[in-house]
Amino acid sequence: MSTQVLSNESVKKESVEIEESRSLWGEAWHRLKKDKVAMTCLIIVCLYSLIGLLSALGLVAADWAKEVGPSYAPPFENWDYILGTDIFGRDVLKKVIHGTQIAMSVGLISSLIAIPIGVVLGALAGYFGGWVDEIIVWFYTTFSSIPGIILLMSIAFVLGKGITTVYIALGLTSWVGLCRLIRGEVMKHKNREYVQAAGALGAGHGRKLFKHILPNVTHIIIIFTSLQFQVAIKSEVILSYIGLGVSGQPSWGTMIDDAKMELARDVWWQLAGATFAMFFVVLAFNILGDALRDALDPKLKGKG
Amino acid sequence: MFKSLLVVLSGVMILGASCTKKVDLKDRTLHVNVSAKVKGFDPVNAGDTYSSGEIARVYEGLLTYHYLKRPYTLIPNLAEDMPTVSNNGMTYTFKIKKGVKFQDNKCFPNGKGRELKAKDFVYSIKRMADAKNVSEGWWLLDKKIKGLNAWRTKYKTEKTNYDEVVEGVKALDDYTIQFTLSQPYPQFLYSLAMVYTFAVPKEAVDFYGKDFLNNPVGTGPFVTKPYTQGTRIEYTKSPSYRDVFYPTEGSAEDKANGLLADAGKKLPLVDKIVVSIITESQPAWLNFEKGKLDLNGIPKDNFESVVTPDKGVTDKYAKKGIDLVITPDLDITYIAFNHEDPLFKSNLKLRQAMSLAYDGDTANKLFYNNQGIIAQTLLPPGIGGYDPNYKNPYRQFSVEKAKKLLAEAGYKNGKGLPTIMYDTTATTVARQMGEYFKKQMAQIGINIQLNTNTWPQLTKKVKTKQTQIFGMAWLGDYPDAENFLQLTYGPNMAPGPNGGNYNNKEFNKGFAIATKMQPGPERAAKYKELAQKSAEDVSLLLGVHRTSFVVKHSWLKNYKFSTFNHGHSKYYSLDLKKKAEMINKL
Amino acid sequence: MSGNLNYIIRRLLYLIPVLLGVCGLVFLLFNVVAGDPTMLLLGKHADAQQMADLKAQLGLDKSLIAQYFDIVKSAFTFDFGRSWATKQQITEMLYQGAIPSLTLTIPGFFISTVMSLMIAIFVAYYRGKGIDLFIRTLAIALMSTSSLVYILVFQKYLAFELGLFEISGYEYGFPSFIPYIALPVVIWVVMSIGPDVRFYRTLILDEIYQDYVRTARAKGLSEKKILFKHVLRNALIPVITYTVVNLPFLILGALLLESFFSIPGLGGLTLSAVNASDFPVIKAMAILSAIAYILFTLVSDILYTLVDPRVKLN
Repeated sequence: MSTQVLSNESVKKESVEIEESRSLWGEAWHRLKKDKVAMTCLIIVCLYSLIGLLSALGLVAADWAKEVGPSYAPPFENWDYILGTDIFGRDVLKKVIHGTQIAMSVGLISSLIAIPIGVVLGALAGYFGGWVDEIIVWFYTTFSSIPGIILLMSIAFVLGKGITTVYIALGLTSWVGLCRLIRGEVMKHKNREYVQAAGALGAGHGRKLFKHILPNVTHIIIIFTSLQFQVAIKSEVILSYIGLGVSGQPSWGTMIDDAKMELARDVWWQLAGATFAMFFVVLAFNILGDALRDALDPKLKGKG
Repeated sequence: MFKSLLVVLSGVMILGASCTKKVDLKDRTLHVNVSAKVKGFDPVNAGDTYSSGEIARVYEGLLTYHYLKRPYTLIPNLAEDMPTVSNNGMTYTFKIKKGVKFQDNKCFPNGKGRELKAKDFVYSIKRMADAKNVSEGWWLLDKKIKGLNAWRTKYKTEKTNYDEVVEGVKALDDYTIQFTLSQPYPQFLYSLAMVYTFAVPKEAVDFYGKDFLNNPVGTGPFVTKPYTQGTRIEYTKSPSYRDVFYPTEGSAEDKANGLLADAGKKLPLVDKIVVSIITESQPAWLNFEKGKLDLNGIPKDNFESVVTPDKGVTDKYAKKGIDLVITPDLDITYIAFNHEDPLFKSNLKLRQAMSLAYDGDTANKLFYNNQGIIAQTLLPPGIGGYDPNYKNPYRQFSVEKAKKLLAEAGYKNGKGLPTIMYDTTATTVARQMGEYFKKQMAQIGINIQLNTNTWPQLTKKVKTKQTQIFGMAWLGDYPDAENFLQLTYGPNMAPGPNGGNYNNKEFNKGFAIATKMQPGPERAAKYKELAQKSAEDVSLLLGVHRTSFVVKHSWLKNYKFSTFNHGHSKYYSLDLKKKAEMINKL
Repeated sequence: MSGNLNYIIRRLLYLIPVLLGVCGLVFLLFNVVAGDPTMLLLGKHADAQQMADLKAQLGLDKSLIAQYFDIVKSAFTFDFGRSWATKQQITEMLYQGAIPSLTLTIPGFFISTVMSLMIAIFVAYYRGKGIDLFIRTLAIALMSTSSLVYILVFQKYLAFELGLFEISGYEYGFPSFIPYIALPVVIWVVMSIGPDVRFYRTLILDEIYQDYVRTARAKGLSEKKILFKHVLRNALIPVITYTVVNLPFLILGALLLESFFSIPGLGGLTLSAVNASDFPVIKAMAILSAIAYILFTLVSDILYTLVDPRVKLN
């Protein structure tokens, strides 16, 4: 139902002349630094990553499962569980923190699954063209023809429940967009002079592709990743609702899912905790993704 | 531009607001909900509670349960009387009521419903036995009726011949039907009160063919239009419904609850039923609170904000005239050990330790509003063989004793014990229960890994014996201990209902004998002994017998909960004056 | 034009390999990986004999290749058989579900598209100003909350507490369905307006920086005139193609909205099919929506050439 965030069209249509990648990155970073909002978002993302990491290392909220108070204690009444407690009297704040770990890992690992598939297939298709391209285009057209949500549910369903499934299902359903973009970029670049020149100097296909072309399309991967995080975090909620999500530990999705029993009885704090935690990081990723696109995409220079 | 935006936005709001309906206080329409998709109206496929509840508003069977009497008592419905049973308990002969009409439907000549005959039951039972219909109720009659299995096997692939006489199900004349069993099976009568065996006219099946399931034609109190798989089903009173009256007998408690106020009145007492299919609990609850549903079965889980410890509703709801009806259900929750797993197979002490470490009281408080009954054996109260005084020694929560037994089992403080996989479903409550179990076992050093599954996955794992332990609940099909004890009967092991694969020779032998005995104190004693033996052998880690919670509005009268709610809406009535008064307070 | 016709025919033929691929994916997921569904379909009392019988009846004892061809056959004949869970005719189920889905998604889609487009033009006009930043941030904020949260909160507070809307339910036929879809439509709009505004704004800005705009400005045309006469007209092309490509997803409906508001549409149907391991229904949904997607992409491409004669199909 929701329309895609990363406008494939606009990125695909751009015709970037990147001759020297280093200066691009330097300038992009320079521009990003000037953007105060974007920097704030970057800090938020880093903060969430840090919390996720600390939680993963067991340094914070490792005892989320401990009973700290009565069942369904409302928030802001006791400092021991400032955000209230859930049905078992567990601290909602700790659950939110543990949920951060899940959310960040879902974003990270699903990206790590999608990126290699998307980049390799996209680069091969764009570079070699011909029947290789035909097959890869056929392959991703097949994938993208099935609505994302059906594919997501189907994959999650056949793989069975659990966090690994969430990673794989989200990874396998999100590489198509990236693949398409990379393919388009690589196609453009392969006929550029610098690649031709490298070819003339005796560089093989592999060298041309990996040494010369790919570094020039990395900005697409960066933008993709920042957007993939927020898509993945939101999808985790839907998967939890369908009953295909994380099990045995709290995630924002399962907390929001709990609320469908609780809210009608005016227990709103689990929902609020998870929603706000999610809101800020998704917001940050969205704005950051935009800023990155602006910074890395010279065509939009001076816009806005 | 902003203005036009506002116009559009407020247009949407007004549209919504102005269309919110007021409840019409003049019509006697019952508003109820079911919480899952209704599959269709074919009795032989009434596998789930929700569909069978709908089917039973339209169709009827030979027998039914008395609306008020407890323990549940079978009474004749389409049968004239209870059957005559031959001395050897193998032949059951029923006389059926005369003058019962099927509802008017275009499948009959001139659209007029014809009279119900004995042959309709013969046909309906054969339909259920027909392998091509894949009836989920087949287990009820499987190997029980003379000649029926042979008939089923014969027509597994070729075109079914319904005219071929099966010895076990015969219409002796238009109003007499005779069943001959192939083995003693006292539970047989219960199957005749179940939706699977309800009377279906052959004309309708032939006329509608594969679309029969959307075109119900029964003898019951209500008729409905062809089913379109929407989320709203409407029923109206059937004009051809025979004279059936509200029961006049009931306990003193029933009388005190006003359940006999309409005694002797002709049924049904409402003109129309609107059933809303609401799968999510939030909208169901909100609709009820608004008065758009007359009653709402609340999930058997955390409803602390509704229910007070002394079994009433909280003040907020009491002011609105909302009543809470709490009734013990014929059910049991349990955690099954896979007895084929070497860890549990010969390790009685480990099983006992785990059972002792599980605090049922707290679970009861957390998940069942403290209204469940801690299960001492498999048998819930209200069933022959239940002993209210029996205390299962391994069901009395004690961490010390559990630790001691665990050490005796060779796993002092859990040392050397591998992490145990606990499988359950992915519903919010099941997940929370799993988390609770994990916490409980951690007290004695047992590591549990919680693994939630979709229902299909869990079923698959259980049926292919791939679990270690798993959480389950069993709702009785009929009020007989056999239906519960069979959960640990060896020959029923996976893929059968004995998912824990418990296989104890002694128990199996006792079970086979007891279940063939005629009802009575002798059988009850045997059942009792079997249940307690199985409990002390910790065949399953027993949970609770749940209670059903139903909230209803003050204007709904004659409501009594039944585990076997087949067509009970015909007894309900509405106090419309009361509704007019109360609806404003909601 | 004959080149265009050729192209259309070629694209239609391309449907075949893609459809075979979709069938393959569906087959891989549900016939190879997912395994045996029979134990679920028979309920709690099933025994091994019944399971074997059912397996044969469902054609699951055939070889894998034969099973694959069964799927391919269904994709080309549109005969998906009967649902395993409900025993209903699948085409009939889909037909019954498509109507409620469309009554929800078409108004939602229409309102959100029109509103987003208007807002996008507005912010493009004031680009770089405070109001632009504010609305853009608001759009992103709207996107940063889970749809499940919107549903739970709106249903509880707007429908129940304030009584502005029906809580849930659905009735067939115009205009009976209107009160029931009002709140779901509002939620739909809230959910999709964020991404839509952002996307349309980008499209409009893309146009604003084109040469012809600079020329127009040099000619002294007012900014408003440029925006509405030239920019909007050109920006509509990608808007239309984007919209058309998204149409098939409307048929699928809105999964969560449908189940929370008891709308008997295709989204809820899919969800219950997943819950009940009703493979034939999921397969049918996947295959049909793939066909719709391919056809609508083609339509979108054709429209593209119609509105923008500069583009040639090839």
